Amino acid sequence: MATVAPSYESPAPRSRRGEGLGAIRRGLGRFLLYFFLLVGLSMTLTPFIWMIFSAFKTATEMARIPPTFFPEAPTLANFLRVIQDPRLPLLRLYGNSVFVAVFNVFTNLFTSSLLGYLFAKYEFRGKRVFFSYFLLTMMIPSQVTMIPGYLILVKLHLLDTLWGLVLTSFINAFGIFMMRQFIETLPNELLDAARIDGASEWQIYTRVVIPQLGPSLATLGTLTFMGNWNSYLWPMVVITTLEKRTLPVILSWYSDQHGRRPHVEMAATVMLVIPVLIVYFFFQRWIVQGMTMTGLK
Amino acid sequence: MGARASKRGRRRGGLAAGQRRFVLGVSIPTIIYSGGLSLLSIVWAFALMFFEYSPGRSGGPILGLGGNNPFVGLAHFRNMIEGVTLESRLFRTSLGNTLIFAFAVLPLNLLITLPLAALIESVDERFKSMFRAIYFLPVVTTSVGVALMWGHLYHPQQGLLNAAIRGLGGSPVYWLNDPRLKFLGVSVAMWSVIVAYLWQDYGYNMVIFVAALQGIPQDLKEAATIDGANAWQVFSRVTVPLLRPTLLFVCVMTMLSSFQVFDVVQVMTNDGNPANQTRVLVLDIYLNAFRYQRMGWAAAAAFVLLLAVVIVTVVQMRVLRTEWEY
Repeated sequence: MATVAPSYESPAPRSRRGEGLGAIRRGLGRFLLYFFLLVGLSMTLTPFIWMIFSAFKTATEMARIPPTFFPEAPTLANFLRVIQDPRLPLLRLYGNSVFVAVFNVFTNLFTSSLLGYLFAKYEFRGKRVFFSYFLLTMMIPSQVTMIPGYLILVKLHLLDTLWGLVLTSFINAFGIFMMRQFIETLPNELLDAARIDGASEWQIYTRVVIPQLGPSLATLGTLTFMGNWNSYLWPMVVITTLEKRTLPVILSWYSDQHGRRPHVEMAATVMLVIPVLIVYFFFQRWIVQGMTMTGLK
Repeated sequence: MGARASKRGRRRGGLAAGQRRFVLGVSIPTIIYSGGLSLLSIVWAFALMFFEYSPGRSGGPILGLGGNNPFVGLAHFRNMIEGVTLESRLFRTSLGNTLIFAFAVLPLNLLITLPLAALIESVDERFKSMFRAIYFLPVVTTSVGVALMWGHLYHPQQGLLNAAIRGLGGSPVYWLNDPRLKFLGVSVAMWSVIVAYLWQDYGYNMVIFVAALQGIPQDLKEAATIDGANAWQVFSRVTVPLLRPTLLFVCVMTMLSSFQVFDVVQVMTNDGNPANQTRVLVLDIYLNAFRYQRMGWAAAAAFVLLLAVVIVTVVQMRVLRTEWEY
């Protein structure tokens, strides 16, 4: 008996003895869990809060040592200062950023889905080489091709133009790869049925494939928008005229001019950061989904 | 019979006329575009590093190479290794700083994101998405914005950090401007940049880890618990081994992106100051190529970056291939 039973009996007394203790431990565990998560949360949010609060402080409050945390007399003066700055044609600058981001979203969604479809559903000579080439370009850091990219734009007389800025990013290897993964899962019967009904290949792409891609297009679109909106190095290299610049480049330039006025600098930063955060809150689900989809496959 | 043969032929790779037209119609413009831009860029980048090239000088007939932009062979690489000129010393400093940066960021990132993901995974579903969304905020924030926000936190007089230090009775620290300050042999300015970068980046890996954790079958963990394992043992002996493929993927991606760090450093430290202690490789490439017009040299430096990326990726593929199946 004693030799057979232990496997049944030994865990039992432990759990009986530890019932009260277990509840306390579980309670403590939950407390610690939320405690750590909230500490992390406040560390994540503090820089944002500090930026927003600073943007509403007056110059005199800003100069005080030690600094205040909450703005004592919240003011919009810093934002007005940015808006009214004659060197900053804000509408034009926002327009530049919106143009670049939206244009790239449309071209990338189009080329990624079209080429993804091509690689997923067609067999043709040279397909492997063609596809491997895109995988290869995905591995090469953009800083390597940045210098010749710049020289090509010089030759094409597209330097310092927004068209030059978007020209180099019509095709996104990452997007092709992602779309191919997804289109491969579409049943061939669906495409063949459309073919039997007399649809052309182009019609199959626009009427059958595209409507199936909704979620992955949303994901790719959101990631492309954010990437372009936030992009800094390439726009800084290509655009040299102030009013043609995109917002991150302008912000960096503006903060150089206002190094001694952090409240104005923070107001300008708020004006750049907030639109993206709004887009993020609307499309959050797609981003998280897209990351897990592309990150793990 | 004829119909069957044509069907088989279609399957073998011969496409129907309409399909062939579609394939050509899509691939020909793509080939022209990619050949004219990305392939040309790659070839050009490789050619540039063997020349002393500046866009201001008129060179030979092909891509402006030769003539006033002379061929120098491997001289750039020789200078990078043993040169005593300012540019070669700065290159070595930048490479060293990039390695310090990458090898500091990787373990710190994992140390934050893995436990954080495990914590988030174990809370209620409705809190889970909220925590995940907020932790992800810095990732979608413009890196220029991140740099300015952190520059403001580090501000010697008006920054929050020094306010806290003063409150505790300490004296203010010049986080980003004092070249003499060191911590663990690495300058405090570099640590400050690393912290800002970590803050911006951890949400990315955290989301990937949360997704991977959700993919681990619950019964495996339960089985371990029934066998008498405590929470820590379940995490370290069951969860982490199962996370291995994800862990490798995350390590490589984090490594690659920290090799390519630029935005945060350039904006926060005013081109790699103090005393070039935060000058990283991409910053070095950028300054050489576009400020000093030394594009041959910059292309050679970019090739070193490419080598680093290839080494990390190849090592990853090796390890993945051997570890993937279990």
